[in-house]
Amino acid sequence: MNEEEMMEEKTEIEEVSDTHREEVKQPDNMEAIVEGLLYVVGEDGVKAEQLALAIDKSLEDTKIILENIQHKYASELYGIELVGYGSVYKFITKKDVFPYAQILLGTAKPGTLSQAALETLAIIAYKQPITRIEIEELRGVSAEVMLRKLQARNLIKEAGRSEAPGRPILYEVTEEFMDSFKLYTLNELPDLPEYKQEEENENLFE
Amino acid sequence: MGFEVETLKFEGPLDLMLHLIHEQQLDIFDLDMEVLTDQYIAYLHAMEDLQLEVESEYLVELTTLIEYKSKKLLPKRGDELEDDYEDPKDRLVRRLLEYQKYKEVSAALYDSFVERQDQLSKPLSLDRFVKEGDLDSQKVEGDPYDLLKAMNKVLRRLQLSRPLDIKITQKELSPEERILQIKARMKDLPETFSFETLIEDCDDLHEYVITFMAILDMAKDHYLAFTIDDNENIWFTRGTNHE
Repeated sequence: MNEEEMMEEKTEIEEVSDTHREEVKQPDNMEAIVEGLLYVVGEDGVKAEQLALAIDKSLEDTKIILENIQHKYASELYGIELVGYGSVYKFITKKDVFPYAQILLGTAKPGTLSQAALETLAIIAYKQPITRIEIEELRGVSAEVMLRKLQARNLIKEAGRSEAPGRPILYEVTEEFMDSFKLYTLNELPDLPEYKQEEENENLFE
Repeated sequence: MGFEVETLKFEGPLDLMLHLIHEQQLDIFDLDMEVLTDQYIAYLHAMEDLQLEVESEYLVELTTLIEYKSKKLLPKRGDELEDDYEDPKDRLVRRLLEYQKYKEVSAALYDSFVERQDQLSKPLSLDRFVKEGDLDSQKVEGDPYDLLKAMNKVLRRLQLSRPLDIKITQKELSPEERILQIKARMKDLPETFSFETLIEDCDDLHEYVITFMAILDMAKDHYLAFTIDDNENIWFTRGTNHE
């Protein structure tokens, strides 16, 4: 697509949103509007960029609004909180609510992930993008079935192909993974432990 | 899937070796390969005695251990004295340490996972926001996994919109019959229609599943084409093979 076409498309989008917005007067408290939108999107969540378009504000302003809401709901007066794991914002209940939800609605199914799934996910999250062979080398077991299962659960996705011979598929984690493990960015992953040979041990043999 | 026996809860040969090293109190930085190899073999024998199949992965690593043992008995070859030659023992230790890192960190990840599982959210409020008209402009083919994901979502939504009641009924509806029913109903359906429309005449999960199987068959035969939008709604149009 050349530049001219891009410009054209852009103005088209603007026109559409303008007609939608004609009668809508911007209320004073956009925070309340955003709060309502967050309620509407529910578990699907919404990105700051999408919100900014909907409320016709800059991305920065939108992020400030989100931060304010987040701050407000952090108070113990509220039973829900606003999270932005993997840059997707959504309301979720605070963890103290759960035991009462179980009484109200009956026993919940425990969320499960096998040890094998966890290890595979950990390797992908720390080393992504990564090929199946690299994962197998690290865990010493075949990863094919596990990768397919994790893909079906939408925790990992394909991310192009490696330049290595055979151009193997590369894998990386998804937004769903970030949400499931309460991560805003991958930088929040805990540091990998370092193992060092302890020099003092040698003294024991003296 | 599959079952695990108490004695077999290892995630693979490296996990087993780490367990043996721990159990025998071996120093991983000064690994006694002889003890490790003997214990490893003893473990594989024990598995066989229990008539459990030893997975090939365990045998692959066994060859590494045995290779090391046999090499020690032979005089060193020239290439093994060069700088960039990595001793198989060093290589194994490096792999064990690397594996242990991810094993350890996965425990920390699991804690956040469990915590997040207990924090609930409500589904998208969708009822008044159906954009059927837009569909023609965004035809995307999904793969079966997309369809599966979308189907999960549909089932979850339906579960939420229905009261809790349990009844036992026996109905025999085959996917083949269902395909005929759907084909008949499609005569009156618009160009584009949603999965929800197709299951309007279903009362239970069994019928949803049969409908889902029917449309999988119909999609395979290119009688139907499906599209999954950003909200993971499934939409259908008539396929290339639609007479």
